[in-house]
Amino acid sequence: MHKNSVGIRVAVAAVVIVGTILYLAVTGVRANKSYYVTIQELQSMGNRAYTRHLRVAGNVEPGSIQRDGAHAQFVLVEQGRKLEVKYTGSDPPPDTFKDNAQALAVGMYGRDGVFHATQVQAKCASKYAPAKPGEKPRQTASMAQPR
Amino acid sequence: MKKTLSIGLPLALVLLSVGFYQAIYVAPTEATMGQIQRIFYYHFPSAIMALLFPYINFIASLVFLATRNSNPPRAQAADALALASAEMTLIFCSIGLATGMLWARPVWGIWWTWDERLTSFLMLWLIYVSYLLLRRFTAGGQTQTLAAVLSIFAAIDVPIVYMSIRWWRTQHPSPVIGGGANSGLDPSMWPAVWWNLAGWFVWGVMLVTLRYQLERKRQRAQQESVLQALAAN
Repeated sequence: MHKNSVGIRVAVAAVVIVGTILYLAVTGVRANKSYYVTIQELQSMGNRAYTRHLRVAGNVEPGSIQRDGAHAQFVLVEQGRKLEVKYTGSDPPPDTFKDNAQALAVGMYGRDGVFHATQVQAKCASKYAPAKPGEKPRQTASMAQPR
Repeated sequence: MKKTLSIGLPLALVLLSVGFYQAIYVAPTEATMGQIQRIFYYHFPSAIMALLFPYINFIASLVFLATRNSNPPRAQAADALALASAEMTLIFCSIGLATGMLWARPVWGIWWTWDERLTSFLMLWLIYVSYLLLRRFTAGGQTQTLAAVLSIFAAIDVPIVYMSIRWWRTQHPSPVIGGGANSGLDPSMWPAVWWNLAGWFVWGVMLVTLRYQLERKRQRAQQESVLQALAAN
């Protein structure tokens, strides 16, 4: 086999493979725009918002959490927009889920304007600060279930 | 190999011991996450090394591909380095995944999610698992060449892993180090980061060196047995 034809074959294979990966990446990102939507995006989605399984991000409004066993009701806020969330999953939300924390609710947006979540995840800040003196550091290891 | 061990091992152990002391006893308890945040001092260095060592593998693989016909002895040395760094990458990648999952469960509420960062990092892990499987289970003379080509895919994946938390919205936090205004570490947390980065780097370089020397020995032994078999005929 000529050295040249091998080179051409390898080049063609490389172009095809890299091209496919790029195509899949670009179309994938466009189709399912992102891992989560903001409250503003959810509210401007129109009818599509009610038929899709979504993940919505926001900050937990202080004082809005009402726990009921493993379930909870709370309000997510993002730039002045509010979203009422009803969480009815089987696991209690994580310990980091509390007032002002960034949270992700996974579920369906109802026509009643309430987001029915089957999962609640906390999203951590990228800023690490020491616990203030006098303030008791939280014990994450306990993973205590709110009862 | 004795020299590598007698210099590398004590150095790595000292750095990692100071790192452990800094991470567990000196660094302050984090305000919102509590004690569990200390896993950061292991998660971050391992993940950084898992993005660094693939490039040793990549460069060694390129040298192998370029010299495999023109300079076989050099190509074999490059291939030994490629194998050693690939194994090390898989170890760091595994530690990064494991510490990440242990950290995610209490603070995110989930062990795993398919966001861009986690998925692209898992891809890196899978690429190196397949790299090592390929090296072990393929027959014939093309093993080293195929493995070297596979390492190119890893080199493409690494920048995607690094940029994923900048390009896309992810569950994984945006960069803590080198991030924007609302990110960063308290100054009192930096020593734990530096000592552990240095410690894991030295540990990784030492293991790669040892593994490289071992692979060279294996290559020489194999060559000798081939020559002996030829002479016997």
